[in-house]
Amino acid sequence: MSSFLLDGFLWRAALGAGLLAAACGPVGCFILWRRLAYVGESVAHMGLLGAALGLLIGVHAVIGTAALAVAAALVMSRAADRTIPAGTFVGIVGHMGLALGFIVLSLLETVRADLLGYLFGDVLALTTADLLGIAAVGTGVLIGMLVLWRPLLRNAVGGAIAAAEGKGSPLAQTAFLVLTALLVAFGLKVVGALLIVALLLIPPAAARPLARTPEGMALWATLIGAVSAPLGLLGAYAADAPAGPSMVLAAGALFALIHLGDALIARLAPH
Amino acid sequence: MTEVLLSAEHLRLTAGRLVILEDVSLAIHRGEIVTLIGPNGSGKTSLLKALLGLQRGSGSVTRKKGLTIGYVPQQFAPDLSLPITVNRFLDLFAETTAGRAALARVGVDAATGERQLSALSGGEMARVLLARAIAGKPDLLVLDEPLAGVDIAGEAQLYQLIAELRDELSCGILLVSHDLHVVMGQSDRIICLNHHICCEGDAKSVVRDPAFIALFGSRSALALYPHHHDHAHSLSGAPVHGHHDHE
Repeated sequence: MSSFLLDGFLWRAALGAGLLAAACGPVGCFILWRRLAYVGESVAHMGLLGAALGLLIGVHAVIGTAALAVAAALVMSRAADRTIPAGTFVGIVGHMGLALGFIVLSLLETVRADLLGYLFGDVLALTTADLLGIAAVGTGVLIGMLVLWRPLLRNAVGGAIAAAEGKGSPLAQTAFLVLTALLVAFGLKVVGALLIVALLLIPPAAARPLARTPEGMALWATLIGAVSAPLGLLGAYAADAPAGPSMVLAAGALFALIHLGDALIARLAPH
Repeated sequence: MTEVLLSAEHLRLTAGRLVILEDVSLAIHRGEIVTLIGPNGSGKTSLLKALLGLQRGSGSVTRKKGLTIGYVPQQFAPDLSLPITVNRFLDLFAETTAGRAALARVGVDAATGERQLSALSGGEMARVLLARAIAGKPDLLVLDEPLAGVDIAGEAQLYQLIAELRDELSCGILLVSHDLHVVMGQSDRIICLNHHICCEGDAKSVVRDPAFIALFGSRSALALYPHHHDHAHSLSGAPVHGHHDHE
């Protein structure tokens, strides 16, 4: 009986984290190509505030997280053309969110124990409802990325050119930020506000040496993300380590392995 | 004159308390090459960006209805983490066949089309960007120092190419350049900018203008005096006699 329970939550964790990391692949590619890591991080930090406010007013934490993450993403997308550099502005907003979120969470006496969960995830506690939510959002994000792919790619390669020639599609850029925010919100329970950006950054970075086309890189990133989730869980189970951070470590190990392998091949076969 | 493609009235652009552009009015017509010159920080790139709608200021910019633009920015460096071939890059902006034809037109061979964009040299990148800009057969080409990274021999050749493209596409060309020597002979009109328009006219009249001499010195005016070319240069820089003629 206990082994069945064990299987149940382990499978849910592997499936949920795998789905989430897979959906992070194509989105993360654009985070990498457009150097938006800072934005992802700040959106995640605001997500923590969202979760806290959600608990405070009694709605599900993920609703609060999604609402605030999306709002933060939209505000940040308007951050250009200020005297404060956009990155700084984004960083300020994000850290305000993190600080305020932490304060609100610690004021809520009953959930103080979950604080670590919000920061580093609590993937073993995923419920079936959580899993369905992740599956729905993950599928939605992948479909959205498929639809928006061409304008997003055009913008990532030559944003100024596209804008000057009237091919800028600002709507696609906004939609991309919303998709990112949704992914971050649903990823909060999996790896937490401090580590979610790792799932957006590491798999695409690991995929880079394997790809010669943007699409190839997105597919490899999806695969690497999907593999590092169960791999990390396996490691966490073996070493009795926290699950979320273990998955991030697994992705990091794949990154190191692929880049080392690539460097080795380049050295062995000079051309 | 012929059809006006793009015009600006009383453009004013500021950054904080700094005035970048003051009361700039100009018009670009179909079939002419207009060259924007001016010292560093004189607002040349800002003016292009304001005309293209990338930077907002006061005053008005009017485009011909349905105007299509081909733009070569001053700086272009996609992130190294983005794997993409030259051909695919062009495909994002124009029909595949048009992109391939444009690459061939600017002298980029088919093998280069299959290479990664991040692996190109400065000279190759300049040609690829020009090819991308002309692939859609635009009404107006806006080129912001398009020859950065091109060696001197290639420069003269590419300016010759730009002049030919004007005739082939019957487009207007707005060009920013530092290379005064090469540019003078190919331009129909030169606008000398230093936050405002100091002087304007064809090469002969501009170099005699006191405002031009004040900005660039009389020595450069002398050196830039339009001279007659009786030869072109091959890629290696060797003169090729009787190939073309321009003033």
